[in-house]
Amino acid sequence: MTNGIEKLALRPIGRRAALIGLAGVAGTLSMPWIARAQAETIRIGFPTPLTGPFAAEANDQVRSAQLAVKLANDKGGIAGRKVELLVRDDKLNAGEAATRTLELIEKDKVHAVVGALSSAVQLAVNEVTRARNMLYISISQSDTINETKDFSPYTFHEALNPTMTTAVVAKHSFKKGSKVAYLVADYAYGHEMLRGFRRAAKEIGAQTVSEILHPFGAADYSTFIPTILASGADILCICNFGRDQANSIKQAVDFGVKDQMKIVVPVLLHNQRLAVDPEVFEGVTGGANYYWGLEETVPSAKAFNDAFRAMYKGTIPTDYGAYGYTGVASLLMAIEKAGGTEPQKVIAALEALKYDIAKGEQSYRKCDHQSMQSVLVLESKAKSAMKSDADLFKIVAAEPASESVLRTCSELGFKS
Amino acid sequence: MSVIKNAELVPAPARRSFATLFSNVSRWRVPLSILALCILPWVLPSQALAVNVLIYGLVAVGYNLLFGYTGLLSFGHAAFFGAGAYATGIAIGAFGIHWFIAMLIGVLVSGLLATVMGVLAIRTRGIYFSMVTLALAQLVYYAALQASSWTGGENGLRGFTVSTLHLPGFSVNFLDPLVKYYAIMIVVAAALWFVSRVLNSPFGAVIEAIRENETRARACGYDVERTKLLSFILSGILCGLAGTLSAMHISIVPLDSLHYHTSGLIVMMTLLGGAGSFFGPFIGALAFLSMEDIFSLWTSNWQLIVGVIFILFVLYLPKGIWGTLISWGKSR
Repeated sequence: MTNGIEKLALRPIGRRAALIGLAGVAGTLSMPWIARAQAETIRIGFPTPLTGPFAAEANDQVRSAQLAVKLANDKGGIAGRKVELLVRDDKLNAGEAATRTLELIEKDKVHAVVGALSSAVQLAVNEVTRARNMLYISISQSDTINETKDFSPYTFHEALNPTMTTAVVAKHSFKKGSKVAYLVADYAYGHEMLRGFRRAAKEIGAQTVSEILHPFGAADYSTFIPTILASGADILCICNFGRDQANSIKQAVDFGVKDQMKIVVPVLLHNQRLAVDPEVFEGVTGGANYYWGLEETVPSAKAFNDAFRAMYKGTIPTDYGAYGYTGVASLLMAIEKAGGTEPQKVIAALEALKYDIAKGEQSYRKCDHQSMQSVLVLESKAKSAMKSDADLFKIVAAEPASESVLRTCSELGFKS
Repeated sequence: MSVIKNAELVPAPARRSFATLFSNVSRWRVPLSILALCILPWVLPSQALAVNVLIYGLVAVGYNLLFGYTGLLSFGHAAFFGAGAYATGIAIGAFGIHWFIAMLIGVLVSGLLATVMGVLAIRTRGIYFSMVTLALAQLVYYAALQASSWTGGENGLRGFTVSTLHLPGFSVNFLDPLVKYYAIMIVVAAALWFVSRVLNSPFGAVIEAIRENETRARACGYDVERTKLLSFILSGILCGLAGTLSAMHISIVPLDSLHYHTSGLIVMMTLLGGAGSFFGPFIGALAFLSMEDIFSLWTSNWQLIVGVIFILFVLYLPKGIWGTLISWGKSR
């Protein structure tokens, strides 16, 4: 064994072999320079929680984002340049997300970052990108990111925010004199949704009869339900996310909550509805940024669904998945308009952009960079009313894009 | 069997040289580790990862002082790591204090916290000690969650990015990854030198004596309680220092940094590298973070691979990476 290695090492190297070797090395070394001269690829970093409780939503985001990149490359790239998506697992951990974003910026030299799926994680990414003048499109619900303290001129918020979601959901489900009980996940998402509902309820004239906090990731809700049943409410508003949503609704229904009151959620999640039987969710009302059934009325939704079906064997995009598409596609549109990735030019292009790529007209508000967009109100269908396995919801209302459901710029602390 | 066979094949002088090699390595441990740290950012996939290795390496070294050398298994070291990070972040963000003073504040706060927790926890031993430290650390976690006007609560602490390090006479761009690495490395190197001195001092011998046989150490006239407390505080301060560096590095303090998962991570890194050895914890942090980084790029099922590797280590290399190397070297 060692003899063989020695023989190999001691074999004299011929002049030709050496020349060929040298030429090879020189060629490899000069490769990056040739590639760069051809027009650099546009690289977009995409940190998202591929592992952890939101993995289902995160994978949908990745698939939609990859669709946006594929469509751009198919038509010859953006401003003559190819587009590449660099997906990283942030493990739903803010510290991990910050490190991953640093890597994307410092090592992979990305031109922009899109992604994150939790208020805390997206604020961490925002903190890193803002210090380094890096473009960031955030695609997870948050009110905090709109406020002046966390504002970055380089950050745009493509997702809905709790204020607008709850304003629209409350408008279509609360009435004057309604008695509302709240069951709220005890972390940022739940708190922000509750704050939004309270604000909307006050304007409508609905009354709060009970507010119950439950821990994030709770498996057992049975202890909360007697209090809810005793509260005399006619609406139960459940403000939680991911698996918590399916678990809490299922247990509430088992205890007969639906006989006494209507269940309302801020965001009715496609994947969570799929996780349980249709009977459980039947009649539950909630908001959404996107539902594939929009294709009956909105042409861009039809185009998006068709492209998605073509790429992923007939499956349909989900609500949180659609953020991945609209986030990346709107960014690419702005880069195309700006003629390159120079941040200041892209910011100007994003601020001026009017885009209709999946759900009707959208645009970014100048002061806080919040995407003004339609908010859907959905109601979960009974099993008998479902035309197919994917026919989950009825669109109760599609509230068109409007600034009136947002907090005003001066309320957020921006000077006009 | 094969070890004996190999040993026969190696000529006698070579066998002796293995022993001298290992004694040389431990004599020159501080310069050697600094040398290794200097080349780290050039061999790892990214500088951000290299900085994390520095920070978690320091945490593990600090933790090892208590776990590996004094023999106390604490499950609450995230409290010191997080407290150092939060104190530094709040000092810079809310009060606009100079980064260097803010770091001192971070170390001081974690030292105070370690004193309080230490006084309460040292009275117990064994599994009870682990439980008490865990409970106290959870107390700190919930305090940080509730005091959201100071700590940012669930969203974490933000708004204290240090982009330039102002030093007397000159300033450096702290956003540059290499500058950041070497700036943090200087602090970590100083801390390593400090730990090496502590371990070589009579105090270092006493804590090892307590680990080996507490009753005998007491019979020899050593004040076991005070020594344990001092070791606990030193260990807390080192973790706090790592926390302040982490705050400077990622410019946020996530609430997770106080979570018991972080405490578990610290124990895991120390075990992986080899508890009770000088280099072990650092190598553990390096191995753990690199595995996570590289495997999660390949596949989203990276946890499976890391889990299997960890099980294999526990089964076949219970002394950890460095611990196994040392005993292998000595048997030569």
